[in-house]
Amino acid sequence: MKRTPPETPKLLLGAESLLGFTRAPRDRLLQVTARFREPESLAVTFSKAIQLGADGVLASPSRVLGEALSELRHSVPVFALLPNVPEYVRDSSEHGLAGTAMKRVARAGLGARARLAWTGLTRAGGVLRSDFAALVPLLLELESTSFRSSELRGVVLAAAITDLALAGKHKSFFENTVRFVRRRFRASAAFQTHNLGHLLAALAEWGVKPDFVVGPINPRGLMMKPTPAAVEAELRRTEIPVLAKELRAGGAVSLVEGARYALEHGAKGLVPDLVDVEDLNAEFKELSQSLTPA
Amino acid sequence: MSERTAHTMLIDDLKPLRPIRVAVVGLGKMGVAHTTLLASIPDVELVGLSDHHAPLGRSVRGLGHRAPFFENPAKLIDKTRPEAVFICTQPDAHKALAEMALEAGAAIFVEKPLAHTLAEAEALAAAVERHGKPAACGYNLAFVPIFAAAHHALRAGVLGQVQQTRASMYLSQTFGPRKGWMYDPARSGGGVVTNVSSHLLFLLQWMLGTPVEARAEGSWFFGEVEDEVHAMMRLSSGAEIGFDSSWSVPGYPYSAVVIEFEGRNGKMLVSNDGLELDLATPSGEWPAGHSQLREADLPQPARFDVNGDSYYLQDAAFLHWATGGAEPPNTVAAALEVQRMIDAIYRSARDNSVTVPVKP
Repeated sequence: MKRTPPETPKLLLGAESLLGFTRAPRDRLLQVTARFREPESLAVTFSKAIQLGADGVLASPSRVLGEALSELRHSVPVFALLPNVPEYVRDSSEHGLAGTAMKRVARAGLGARARLAWTGLTRAGGVLRSDFAALVPLLLELESTSFRSSELRGVVLAAAITDLALAGKHKSFFENTVRFVRRRFRASAAFQTHNLGHLLAALAEWGVKPDFVVGPINPRGLMMKPTPAAVEAELRRTEIPVLAKELRAGGAVSLVEGARYALEHGAKGLVPDLVDVEDLNAEFKELSQSLTPA
Repeated sequence: MSERTAHTMLIDDLKPLRPIRVAVVGLGKMGVAHTTLLASIPDVELVGLSDHHAPLGRSVRGLGHRAPFFENPAKLIDKTRPEAVFICTQPDAHKALAEMALEAGAAIFVEKPLAHTLAEAEALAAAVERHGKPAACGYNLAFVPIFAAAHHALRAGVLGQVQQTRASMYLSQTFGPRKGWMYDPARSGGGVVTNVSSHLLFLLQWMLGTPVEARAEGSWFFGEVEDEVHAMMRLSSGAEIGFDSSWSVPGYPYSAVVIEFEGRNGKMLVSNDGLELDLATPSGEWPAGHSQLREADLPQPARFDVNGDSYYLQDAAFLHWATGGAEPPNTVAAALEVQRMIDAIYRSARDNSVTVPVKP
């Protein structure tokens, strides 16, 4: 049966800063993490963002996120940013990559372990060769257990993982990941990257079409690799919808200014993070309007 | 040169001056990071990978890299004849591997710290001196645009003579007994100072020079390596540097550096967030009064992002040097000065905070 492509989200509220990963100033990060330490506060913000026109939230599994989602009476569409990279890096410095994976297996439920075993068995050759294309589905199985399938609308592979495979020019990794996510989760398959120009060029060359890509786009060119001009050129050329992040260039411009630049230069959607948003009501209303065709 | 570039002196489009054959030894976290970067720098041919732990070799090849893998680094060097070798093992293996690569005529890049003891670092630096090959150490903060801008301003003398400096580096990493080589002093050489804030010591050495003496107190909360250190260092000018570091404080998911300089002409505050200057009189491109630079105000010349611009620029700068270009700031000679500062801090902390000389 031919798959009907899911509609590309246009506005997602990002929660990556809750992991500590942000280019915003440290004071702003502390303010946001303090504000959202309580899951109730996060739940209210998610709920409001959806009411104001957001298509969902882009977030990695964490205790506070899980509690926030379970607080809500109506489920919030989740685009899961997987894996939770800072937690993985912290754990792997002590346990190694294999030990870190085993720790997650140990805390997974029986159902998740069964799915993990099936996913591993169907890719046994690649797993034995340590092929990233075979290992990442196992990682996604483990990390996605925090989300209910009813709320999971998409799986977005975190930039740290995407960019490792991109540097290795691992075409089959990108092909397999897209195929796996669509089949296994019946959800959008997407990649986050901090090397947007490189990724769009490679995906075009390989003929790989994820449902969307998330990458930095802002008027100051911050994190636009290889160069802002090259990213703009790829945005004009690509057939893949791109959602812009790092809209405020580390706080140098306003959210609305960053969004305007991104949309004018070919972004099809926006992912403002919690640290980027100062007035959710006003800013999300304006962003929603700018994303609505006239 | 644009005004933005002038603030940092970081070179745009930094790369080797000719094609170069490169190998990576040690395929842990930093080995993977360097392999990723090397695959992205123009004119780099990755000719070989090595680690004594074969599964790590499979992992890196599983990322798509096709360079041959060797468990034995001597075989790697013999078979692939690299012109530059990145040594990314734990510190107690640095010296032997560096000597092996230098003997084979390769330039070397050694991850920080240079070695796990001052004696090993001195021996490594002596080998570099004997062979006369380009040799750098992984103090990448010199390539973070905001710190490069601070260095540029200081060296241009905007503050006048620096009289006092306070510096800190914090990370939320260690909140209980931990395993692994980093927590074994015989292999790593120490705790938070060696593994984290040696980066800050490098910045201080680069910007101000090597102190002549130090006194320090440390705290060992969880194991055999120090978790927190407070130190005071004195420069030959008499200026003092206060230094604080901990990897056992909450609120720092990523390491954060703050340095405050006070000079005759004003103050400068530099951190990962930006640079602020308050000057009594204008100096060079800086006006009197308050000025501020943020990350987005500065050039971001790396062509591939791996945890920011600095790692790419660091590797590209080393390979630029290895192919006949200019020497970067993070030479092995500079890293040896950092090792002397680490050694003085540890000697003082172990000896009831007495003032000790930084070995010349």
